[in-house]
Amino acid sequence: MIGTALASAMAAFAAGAVFALAWPSGAGARRLSLASAFAGCVAALVLGVDMLDSGISWTWQSQAVLQPLGGVSLRVDPLGAFFVAIVALTGAPASLYALGYLRELDGRLRGRAVHALFNVFLAGMCLVPLADNAATFLFAWEVMALSSYLLVVSDPEQEGAAAAGLWYAVMTHAGFLALLAAFVMLAQNGPLEFPAMRAAAGTLTPAAQSTSVLLTLAAFGSKAGLVPLHVWLPRAHPAAPSHVSALMSGAMVKLGVYGTIRVLFDLMPPLSPWWGGAVLALGVVTALTGVLYSVAETHIKRVLAYSTVENIGLIFVGLGFALLMRAYDSGVLAAMGLVVALLHTLNHAVFKSLLFLAAGAVVHGARASSLEALGGLIKRMPHTAALCLIGVLALAAVPPLNGFTSEWLTFQLLLAGARYTAPSLAIMLPLALAAVALVAGLAAVSAVRFFGIAFLALPRTDGARDAHEAPLTMRAAMAMPALACVVLGLVPTLAVTQLTAVVSDLGLPMGQLDTGLALSLPLIGSRLWPIAIAALMAAAAIAAVLGTRAARGRQVRIDAAWNCGRIAQSPRSEYTAAAFAEPLKRVFTGFYRPTHEVTVEVHPVSPYFVRAITLRADLAPWMEQAIYAPVVRAAQRLSAQASRLHTGSIHLYLALLPAALLVLLLLGRWIR
Amino acid sequence: MQLFTKILRTGVVTEPLPDRSSSAVTLAREIDRRAQTLFGRALAIRQVDAGSCNGCELEIAGLPGPVYDMERFGLHFVASPRHADMLLVTGPVTRNMAVPLRKTYDATPDPKLVVAVGDCARTCGVFAGSYAVVGPVDRIVPVDAYIDGCPPEPADILQGILAALGRLDAGRRG
Repeated sequence: MIGTALASAMAAFAAGAVFALAWPSGAGARRLSLASAFAGCVAALVLGVDMLDSGISWTWQSQAVLQPLGGVSLRVDPLGAFFVAIVALTGAPASLYALGYLRELDGRLRGRAVHALFNVFLAGMCLVPLADNAATFLFAWEVMALSSYLLVVSDPEQEGAAAAGLWYAVMTHAGFLALLAAFVMLAQNGPLEFPAMRAAAGTLTPAAQSTSVLLTLAAFGSKAGLVPLHVWLPRAHPAAPSHVSALMSGAMVKLGVYGTIRVLFDLMPPLSPWWGGAVLALGVVTALTGVLYSVAETHIKRVLAYSTVENIGLIFVGLGFALLMRAYDSGVLAAMGLVVALLHTLNHAVFKSLLFLAAGAVVHGARASSLEALGGLIKRMPHTAALCLIGVLALAAVPPLNGFTSEWLTFQLLLAGARYTAPSLAIMLPLALAAVALVAGLAAVSAVRFFGIAFLALPRTDGARDAHEAPLTMRAAMAMPALACVVLGLVPTLAVTQLTAVVSDLGLPMGQLDTGLALSLPLIGSRLWPIAIAALMAAAAIAAVLGTRAARGRQVRIDAAWNCGRIAQSPRSEYTAAAFAEPLKRVFTGFYRPTHEVTVEVHPVSPYFVRAITLRADLAPWMEQAIYAPVVRAAQRLSAQASRLHTGSIHLYLALLPAALLVLLLLGRWIR
Repeated sequence: MQLFTKILRTGVVTEPLPDRSSSAVTLAREIDRRAQTLFGRALAIRQVDAGSCNGCELEIAGLPGPVYDMERFGLHFVASPRHADMLLVTGPVTRNMAVPLRKTYDATPDPKLVVAVGDCARTCGVFAGSYAVVGPVDRIVPVDAYIDGCPPEPADILQGILAALGRLDAGRRG
């Protein structure tokens, strides 16, 4: 069953790529290739759900390809199946969405390339969690990285796409190198197979263990977007087409989380508590950085990209907690930490892909991507607005939607953790809790700002005024994750029971869980019953409506909104996205380092007659300047040195060739 | 602690109201009683400066000040006409303020009262005939009560407010 599902998924993706390139008509190529992608996602979902249900793992090996590196080796275990399901859950709506979203590219070669790469991207992402040796893993990882890089730079009209692609390519390849080194260290001269690494990991020297943990965190952190390796995310997401951003943010970034779990929890024995603390701290820093930038950013997709950084931070808080508890031998708490991290991974994948799809619909409909250029879209795009509102509420962790469940559980974990373990944690975990609470509050601010500025009030530009509703396929595609948000929010046990299976497969049994509608985790001592919350909220809403109806016995006059008696109601007097973030920019000046530049143009007669005032406000990208600028300078210096070899003299080149060959032969002899 | 000793040492420094103004207290009590029967709650007032010289504003500002302290009798100045029962309009209506005044009146929920404070609000005073002035307040919005004086004293203003309330009372009965 699993083999068939995997084979049909891969066949569908391959067929999708072929259809995209070879079908005679552009529209047909789009429909067939995206239908194939959709079918492939459904097959992958079947694979994931079937595996999680049955719990029987499945392996497959072949030496036909990649033979010198150890051949292809696949293994479907619960953890991998869960991540395949995440890829499928975000891939299916994205494929459906692209049907309407990319209709304009039908006549162009670029459209075909995007569809083909989209299929390849999906196939790569489905294979990553199934790989069982380093060669397969690195191959799938590279397929995923390259196809997503090409998708990021696919739109030549997009300003800054090339630069964004460069950032992304450099970060992802630096990560690839770190990953390769980590695998080689873990294998310790043995075969580069995961089972062999698992067996050998216990015998690593402490120094080698620390190095490999660091390399793993760097490799997967650069994909997941851990601070300070997050810099590519806010650049690449706006440049990519929206369905690709949804897939990148919903699924690809999550594979960084997958890799971290695979190496730190599956391949490696319990690590020292320091590592747990470090990952927890890294998670907190990432979450804070992400949310603070997401509140200040004005490009809608960049707001969402930073919010992804924030959520990755929250996931790593859960992972760090699990690592800590595993080090302290509290298996049940470690299992809960991992379950919460995985649950948040799923929840974030669902609502963030919804939000990126909605952002794409907004950009598509209003032809503007800055929050400052939008406004009033709820009247013009009512369905998109309603679906986006569901995503925004989930992002803001409002019950009974899914974002709430995992954030609530994160809080509960951090509260419970200190009670059962070392006293040092009784200081550290409450600090982390406070930081996470700040993050949750700021995330709500960011969500309100995102929805309020883009969808409410008056349109700020002509583009927003003439915005049109998204086509039916796009709306249907957005409805799928929106529905998932509601269902996962109302019945979290649906996912949590599966996740306990995933976690116990990793050697962290969790004990008996309720399978009813209420969620109660062991040791925590509180219960969450989202349906009751939903019923209570619905009852309150109905009571409020009935109450106002009853009070409406008196006459009601509908009039224009009060604007302090101003003669004309103009969008220029509206609350802007920058103004919304201004108080926070002042509070966190040390973090944002805002730059202000005010130019006043006056009449030559008197400085009191002002003609125009221009304000340029920006945030200093100090993280990039501090960390990346020296690296870039060093790289430039190196390449300047290297370019000296390019003398243009063919004799020199001919002399260099045998010299290089000789060096390589000597090296080969020495290494053997 | 220092604060409390200071409070104790200083004692009450506000002056008692002069004899004549003791009627202000009875007036305010009467206004509160009427407002309670009319609106079922305290009276909320929105003040609109339609172009005044700010003389009337000084006197109006005396009402919530420490001497009169009218908030204790349920007279509130509010920040939006949406919250108001009564508009207290001062000054001749200037060209710039004609539309905002009208909009303020429209934005005030019914039942509403308008009290024109000061001579300018009734006759435009010394500003009559100016190119910048549209006319007295009743040119723009219907006025329920006028308060004479340049500027009127706080007690007079209270008297006017009471008179306006009486008008609403009469309107109810009629």
